[in-house]
Amino acid sequence: MDFAIETSGLSKSFGHVCAVESVSLRVRHGEIYGFLGLNGAGKTTTIRALLGMIRPSAGSVKVLGQVIGPNERGPWRQVGYLVESPAAYPELSVRENLEIARCLQGISSRNATTHVIERMGLTPYADRKAGTLSTGNLQRLGLARALLHEPTLLILDEPANGLDPAGVVEIRELLASLAHEKGVTVFMSSHILTEVNRLATRIGIIHKGRLIEELDAEKLEEMRLQRLEIKTRNLEAAQSTLTQAGFTVKISDTTLILNEERAINAPEEVASILVNAGIPPFRLAVEQEDLEEHFLRLTGERK
Amino acid sequence: MNTFLAAFWAETLKARRSKVALLTAAGFLILPIVDGLFMFILKDPERARTMGLIGVKAQITAGVADWPTFFQMLLLGTATGAGILFAFITAWVFGREFSDHTVKELLALPTPRGIIVGAKFVVIALWMLGLTLMIFVIGLGIGTVVTIPDWSPELQWASFWSLMLIVLITSMLVPFVALFASAGRGYMLPLGWAILTMALAQIAIVMGWGDWFPWSVPGLIASLSGASTERIELHSYIVVSLAFIVGIAATFAWWRNADQAQ
Repeated sequence: MDFAIETSGLSKSFGHVCAVESVSLRVRHGEIYGFLGLNGAGKTTTIRALLGMIRPSAGSVKVLGQVIGPNERGPWRQVGYLVESPAAYPELSVRENLEIARCLQGISSRNATTHVIERMGLTPYADRKAGTLSTGNLQRLGLARALLHEPTLLILDEPANGLDPAGVVEIRELLASLAHEKGVTVFMSSHILTEVNRLATRIGIIHKGRLIEELDAEKLEEMRLQRLEIKTRNLEAAQSTLTQAGFTVKISDTTLILNEERAINAPEEVASILVNAGIPPFRLAVEQEDLEEHFLRLTGERK
Repeated sequence: MNTFLAAFWAETLKARRSKVALLTAAGFLILPIVDGLFMFILKDPERARTMGLIGVKAQITAGVADWPTFFQMLLLGTATGAGILFAFITAWVFGREFSDHTVKELLALPTPRGIIVGAKFVVIALWMLGLTLMIFVIGLGIGTVVTIPDWSPELQWASFWSLMLIVLITSMLVPFVALFASAGRGYMLPLGWAILTMALAQIAIVMGWGDWFPWSVPGLIASLSGASTERIELHSYIVVSLAFIVGIAATFAWWRNADQAQ
């Protein structure tokens, strides 16, 4: 199968520090791939390797079917990217910054600049010097540069950084429409897990340089842990009653938590036990861990 | 659009919008202005004496107010000042991409990195040429206004070509500045390098090895009289050419091969 992005045993060390170790990931065409990791997990190093900015210490990288390696080879005309915080020439206007990008992308039509300025909502700032832009608008400028040449693959490092809530929604909708309507492949790293949860069709989790999980977003639903949460007026008595009934019960603040399948599949049985013991629950719900909890559990940041 | 022309246009736009262009022009203009001021003072010894320190200093530096002295001072000033000024320009053209964090926007493009580096060098060369022509033309204007004696077309053109030779030799040494601006990711390392080579050039001249040290050669060419000029022969041009080739090749190789992890 032909992948938009394919790494095989990608490793990168800086001196004795191993930033990325044996990362093998595959991104299908038209997919929105969410790349999750804590700070220093190796997200940006991986992205730089995908863009040919660093040479892998071991392994290989293929982007849009081309091997990325020495001699600057790469399908860059079809790739738009944003690496780390967006940068711009501060004394040049937004339009001039994009004009430079347009020329270096080899696009002859000046309309491309105007079009992307309008698309990214930068029209009021088009003639303003980039050095005076807010962080959010600088991020929009970076995204505009990535979208300017209408690439078929977008590699975006934290695309929602610095954007206000409305901007986050706007970018989410833009990326979703590019993927769904134009078949653009999106590879995005993010620390905003809810964004990845809402947008990504496939998720990779990198931790301490290693890809520890790669799965379809749909499958994540199945993999996330469930638990039965109970609130009563007398937590100790309820815990004692349920323990006597054979359940393993944990107390978290004001809530009883039951992780057993038996309790999750038959919460009404648990409710009956408590009602019969004269400790009726005033809240009883089966909760599923969200992506954040799943991520923290996987990375060992929260047990 | 041709990729080189596109990269060249981008570099000229950055230079035009920057205050550095004006700053370097102002910095280089000091040479003919000070030169003209000295001639003005030296033309009238009485006025030179009444002006105190400046007058005394002017007499020590130049001696007589005539066109040969005027051009000699311009050449010496260029040999000294151009090294730092051209290093400043080169450090800015290359180093600003790192200090502004814009370098990452130049690395994964249909325009190859080598073309972008080449465009930067061409802009630097044209910038240096423009400044050189500017100080020569303005120097002629200032000399004419001050009405210093002993002008001749032969002297003017001989001085012009000497100036161009000094600037050419000096400009052939800036690729190392570009290399250090790139490898050092900013301004400090290239400017430190420029100051270091300027100091080493003086030491090399004092020790009698200036003709073998590329960074001493512009100064030796500028000192039109004395034994040092006689030593500037083919071997001096060869070491300068070698420094140019090594600096250019290393800069291109660095941009092509170095990890861009920051």
